Amino acid sequence: MALRTVTRKLGNKFFPLLSSTSHLHSHATSFGFKEVKEEEKAAMVGNVFSNVASNYDLMNDLMSAGLHRLWKDRLVSKLNPFPGMKHLDVAGGTGDVAFRILERINRVKQRGIQRDFEDILEAETKIYVCDINPNMLNVGKQRALQKGFAEDGSLVWVEGNAESLGFQNDSMDGYTIAFGIRNVTHIEKVLSEAHRVLKRGGRFLCLELSHVGIPVFKELYDLYSFSVIPSMGEMVAGDRESYQYLVESIRRFPTQEKFASMIADAGFQKVEYENLVGGVVAVHSGVKI
Amino acid sequence: MYRTAAKRLFSAATHSYHGNLHRLRLRPPHSQIFIPYRSFSTSEDQPFPIPQSPVHPETPLVPDSAPSSSPSPSPDEDPRTRGDKYQDEKSRVLHASLTHVIKLGWTEAALISGAKDVGLSPSIVGSLPRKEAALVEFFMDDCLQKLIDRIDSDESLKTLTPSECISKLIRIRLEMQAPYISTWPQALSIQAQPVNVPTSFKQRAMLVDEIWHAAGDNASDIDWYAKRTVLAGIYSTTEIYMLTDTSPDFRDTWAFLDARVKDAFDLKKTIQEAQHLAEAVSAGLGNTFQGFMGKVLRR
Repeated sequence: MALRTVTRKLGNKFFPLLSSTSHLHSHATSFGFKEVKEEEKAAMVGNVFSNVASNYDLMNDLMSAGLHRLWKDRLVSKLNPFPGMKHLDVAGGTGDVAFRILERINRVKQRGIQRDFEDILEAETKIYVCDINPNMLNVGKQRALQKGFAEDGSLVWVEGNAESLGFQNDSMDGYTIAFGIRNVTHIEKVLSEAHRVLKRGGRFLCLELSHVGIPVFKELYDLYSFSVIPSMGEMVAGDRESYQYLVESIRRFPTQEKFASMIADAGFQKVEYENLVGGVVAVHSGVKI
Repeated sequence: MYRTAAKRLFSAATHSYHGNLHRLRLRPPHSQIFIPYRSFSTSEDQPFPIPQSPVHPETPLVPDSAPSSSPSPSPDEDPRTRGDKYQDEKSRVLHASLTHVIKLGWTEAALISGAKDVGLSPSIVGSLPRKEAALVEFFMDDCLQKLIDRIDSDESLKTLTPSECISKLIRIRLEMQAPYISTWPQALSIQAQPVNVPTSFKQRAMLVDEIWHAAGDNASDIDWYAKRTVLAGIYSTTEIYMLTDTSPDFRDTWAFLDARVKDAFDLKKTIQEAQHLAEAVSAGLGNTFQGFMGKVLRR
């Protein structure tokens, strides 16, 4: 499913950045079950994305039988957004999570906050949607227009890299990354960037496909992943390779516990995770103190 | 569900409100922590706050026993202390939120204002497990701690009879709630929500246990449960009576309280007398019956 990502297009303006990092470390990393050089991974993921962008939402619905909507709802309800918050949604290309946050904040406003409270809220709500792939951002902007979110200026679309965000320290109340962290080259960098941009008291939430531990269900899930999904990708999107990459990358991602310890190492506290659908998806959360 | 309540008890003990909560005394006759569930009539849904200005203008929080705010500027030592930092900050936020409760009620709005006061992003409110309930529970724990401190420091309590002591302690405890009386119905309804009942039940059980211990309780077995149930009933009814009391300084509430305590002690005496009477009657009846049957059978 969701190839949420920080991807790099071949030959784009970030290429100099790529080559400079390649001087620092030229290790191998994983691209699904294949081992590839780090600098190549970004390019390969970039290709994957440019291929999937157009059929993205349709494939999400098919692969998860529509459950991805509920998962994103759960993510946003855990976030508990409030009016006047500054939020950063990374790898949020098509805007699913950002729209949900805005809808929820508008609902809270409509319910009528007491007058005293409104005085305190001079700050304006701002949701920054950051994605490295402009195609995904464009799709998101289109959808925002359709839904009518474009008028009040609370949605800001930013092209950027999760490993080096262009935002100031201590500027965000919330940070979400939904189905994107699996595709980054350096997870630790993304986590420390998240820690940097969050204010004290800000929360980090990550929604990601994860590992299933339940015995019989695990086998069924593996069967579904390796047999059904690539075929679905071939039939619907005409691209078996990308979806093969997808299911392999899920297996290579750290387990829930390991990822939670990585989040804690980045400086977050009260790190916990919640498994949805028996571990198919996990929501990790942490607080910056 | 008792496991979560017990865990909460232990975590409160270990994180320890910065070391102030030095005693959590629970002395059930058998098991250590688990108290049998009795339905407390502690809460009734009163959706409309009773319009009554708090008679006691005192600041609700006494500095010496309130969780002290200790921002930790020291660098990260190790993961063990980091968990404490979160608990510290959480206590600070809840403490600051209490000052907003009178205006905003026991709501997320009060929590958000509290977080802003302390200098943290209001997002931290999202990390509290049951947001408004966390605030109410914090307040209940805070009051319990203040009550314990008061019991320890006040020597005059030892000279009172049990009924007077109980009366006085309940009064002290309810007076802590007096500033929030206009929003207290909301707090009670939050405590009554099924998801919050285990914790609120546990807190009330601890409170009742504390009061009985201070009043000099040496009971065991069934008496222990009966006493706590009765006292919990007295406390709850007085608490609810206080919600609609408009007399100056809650005079009527204290009169009500004294009457209930007297009733309870009278009832105890009455039960004892009834027991003696029943024994005497049955003994007498037994003799009469024996004699009668003897006569009948001999015929």
